[in-house]
Amino acid sequence: MTTFALDTATPDPALAIVDGDVVVAESWLGRIPGGGRRVMEAAHDLFSSSGVGPSDLGEIVVGVGPGGFTGIRIGIATALGLGQALDIPVHGASTLEALALGIAASGISPPAAGPEMTTVPVIDARRGQVFAAAYRVDAAGAMDEVIAPAAWEPSDLAAAIAGLGPCLVAGDGADIVPLPDSAERAAGAAADRISPVLLVRRVRVGAGRPVAPEYLRLPDAEENRLRRLREEARA
Amino acid sequence: MADLVLAIETSCDETAAAVVDGRRIASNVVASQAELHSVYGGVVPEVAARHHLTTVNAVVDRALEDAGVRLGDVDRIAVTQRPGLIGALLVGVATAKALAYATGTPLVMVDHLHGHVAACWLEPVALDPPFVALTASGGHTRLDLVEDYATPELLGQTLDDAAGEAIDKGARLLGIPYPGGPGLEALARDGDPTAFDFPVGLRSRGPDQLDFSYAGVKTALLYATRDLGESGVHNSRADLAASYQEAIMRPLVDRLMLAADVHGAPAVSIGGGVAANGRLRELVQDAARARGLRVAIPDRTLCTDNAAMIGAAAAFTPAIPWPDYVGEDAIATAPPGGIAA
Ligand SMILES: [Zn+2]
Repeated sequence: MTTFALDTATPDPALAIVDGDVVVAESWLGRIPGGGRRVMEAAHDLFSSSGVGPSDLGEIVVGVGPGGFTGIRIGIATALGLGQALDIPVHGASTLEALALGIAASGISPPAAGPEMTTVPVIDARRGQVFAAAYRVDAAGAMDEVIAPAAWEPSDLAAAIAGLGPCLVAGDGADIVPLPDSAERAAGAAADRISPVLLVRRVRVGAGRPVAPEYLRLPDAEENRLRRLREEARA
Repeated sequence: MADLVLAIETSCDETAAAVVDGRRIASNVVASQAELHSVYGGVVPEVAARHHLTTVNAVVDRALEDAGVRLGDVDRIAVTQRPGLIGALLVGVATAKALAYATGTPLVMVDHLHGHVAACWLEPVALDPPFVALTASGGHTRLDLVEDYATPELLGQTLDDAAGEAIDKGARLLGIPYPGGPGLEALARDGDPTAFDFPVGLRSRGPDQLDFSYAGVKTALLYATRDLGESGVHNSRADLAASYQEAIMRPLVDRLMLAADVHGAPAVSIGGGVAANGRLRELVQDAARARGLRVAIPDRTLCTDNAAMIGAAAAFTPAIPWPDYVGEDAIATAPPGGIAA
């Protein structure tokens, strides 16, 4: 089964062609603002260079976020459009979970981590916030959610992971979190970006998600409306 | 021979798809978000973009099904590229690019305003140039000379608020919930359009200019409501609505007729959301008849945002062959002065 996998939720939009569990071809778009808008162009390049055509695809896997709202939507719209035209299934997978698997595989193991380690994927949520979660990942890549995905103030996230023992932190938002001593920054660009094959792996183990954006944040107008309603209810 | 175009439109708060076959509309599906935005009192870009994403594929399916065709039968796919809310446009553009790429279909990037003008090309209106087109909506107010559907020529446009924007703001002042257009029109039906003398924008520029201005009339309504006080407004709501509506519609009609005179056009057309207003339709009809002009007043569903009009504009916009469009992007703003064909 040939799978096209993509994730445009972060500033490192990623795409890959995967055959079973083997990466046939993968690429990351340049870190330019709105880079996700070039994902179809990048997909065409990937198809051309690998000799795989859209009609060879058996399924599509897309990262559903969290991350940049516009980027998430472009990835999902692209995935759903391809799926609709080719009449093949489209599966979602969590961007944070794929990032966590990548961190665990980044090869830097803190001394006290043992066979299991806690990974903390962190995605820049702008406005000084981050989208983050914490997972325990074992050597086989099985993962348990320790802290559920949410939008955090960096200092609150730091406090929350301080109680988890040794953990590895990475992602494009990692550097704005004031890490506690128990946490280590996984170094290297590879740990900070999504590997699309890891999205596919989540789907393979039955941990796929509905193909719907995981925004983790309401639109500002809705936030403001709810606040007004709460204030009115109090008054 | 069939020339099937699947068109997608997501520039504002309508998720729309249509199939047009030459000048014939084979299907025209619009999923309106108006209800969704009414709690905010206006279109919220992020809410619109979120909703487009959850709706667009089903709307496309429905358009194909209504037309009785399959995606593989489609000769070209067309999508609104500009202008509009960028997050909303991007959903349509990403969807259209993916559909076209996967099926090896040429893609046409359409200017939304070109679509409003081209709506008149479709049957049963099927207006042939030359004519002067009025496009009035929440985002645009403009006159174009159409000697050829491919290259409408801008004659005049609003210098500040769009006509539809003025309607929404006025409606809000009169306590009419968003979207204000239908409510204002209904209220105005019981009022006297001459009860209040609201100013017509740019009157001082002389009789032969073709631009519009709506900032003044909106301010005049604000002052009138302040002067009247709460109970005065309550008693005069219908008259205020009728007079205000008239002050918005009259310049549209007058300048449309003037433009036809100045350019010797034998016909006029109207389009855009404001063209769904019954009073405007009546005024344009009467004024055109009095001058012996042919007049194209498309069905309301072709005036408000829809995808059939995008399919029509696609007939006059070069198609990009597979796969040269993979790098095409949505554009928030209109090109300076014109329509990008
Ligand atoms: Zn419009």
